[in-house]
Amino acid sequence: MAPASPEQLTHIVDFLRRERRDLSLEDVMVLAERMAATLDETMARVDTLLHDEFKSIVGEIATLRRDIGGIRPDHMRFERIPEAGRELDAVVEATETATVAIMEAAETIMAADTSDPEAYKALVDDKMIVIFEACSFQDITGQRIRKVVRTLGWIEERLGQLSQRLKFGEAEALHVHETDEERRQRELILHGPQMKGEGVSQDFVDDVFATSDQDAIDKLFD
Amino acid sequence: MALDLSMPVLVVDDYKTMIRIIRNLLKQLGFDDVDEASDGTEALGKMKERRYGLVISDWNMEPMTGYELLKHVRADTGLSKTPFIMVTAESKTENVIAAKKAGVNNYIVKPFNAQTLKGKIEAVFSD
Repeated sequence: MAPASPEQLTHIVDFLRRERRDLSLEDVMVLAERMAATLDETMARVDTLLHDEFKSIVGEIATLRRDIGGIRPDHMRFERIPEAGRELDAVVEATETATVAIMEAAETIMAADTSDPEAYKALVDDKMIVIFEACSFQDITGQRIRKVVRTLGWIEERLGQLSQRLKFGEAEALHVHETDEERRQRELILHGPQMKGEGVSQDFVDDVFATSDQDAIDKLFD
Repeated sequence: MALDLSMPVLVVDDYKTMIRIIRNLLKQLGFDDVDEASDGTEALGKMKERRYGLVISDWNMEPMTGYELLKHVRADTGLSKTPFIMVTAESKTENVIAAKKAGVNNYIVKPFNAQTLKGKIEAVFSD
């Protein structure tokens, strides 16, 4: 039996409402069969729709896998980022070694006996050479930092491409959970050093401490 | 409050080199009794054992920051009058204001020179 369209079913229901006194068991059976057939076709259409949707989702996941693969996460996680970390550790170590060498030289000069001018000059000359040698750290640390900057650029470029393909916007970013470290930094006002021209100057600080007018200080926040 | 060069000074910083720099500058200014701590917790412990004439503290340290140390010091009746100078690279307006509101006596932005340190110490003790 062919399935009835929604319009046909509406006509049948209207007919039954008007003529229900003559309704026979056979009429009810015919109607039930027609409605069952209609339901079968509807379900078949839903099946096809769901199948298409799932196929589309699978396609999206495959694209996403390809995009994530494109940023080479393992290369980033196990090579580029650890290497950048080692470079920065080396920078910290080199600057600390240089600073200690310079300070030791300066402390030796400050504590030196000046009663013998010739001996004192020889000592100062000797320590000046130590200071010059220590300052050579800047060349190496400069190269190391440039390597780290290149790595950051590489990561930024790939994450930018991925974000563009995923159409990842600020709305999604707003739902990112604040980490304990981020919360600590916010609550304890930990910003770290500012770039040149961005932080306040010592003169500004002195102005703040020169005034006891709390209202004037509060206005700085406006 | 008069400046007494024999008073003990506590320098709080998690960077040993910075402690060494400040210690040398203080020595140049005539302070010989200089003690050190690597964070707020250690500093607070030392302050409860010894009465310091001046605390010079960094802000960004772990586990206890200089800002938390300042608030602890000002909340403790036995320590609340201790002169406290913040020496820090934290140079946003909100840091300066928060420190002032918490009761810091002066604030030095890193990097700084000997003249600035000298001037701020003198300013604290001339108030």
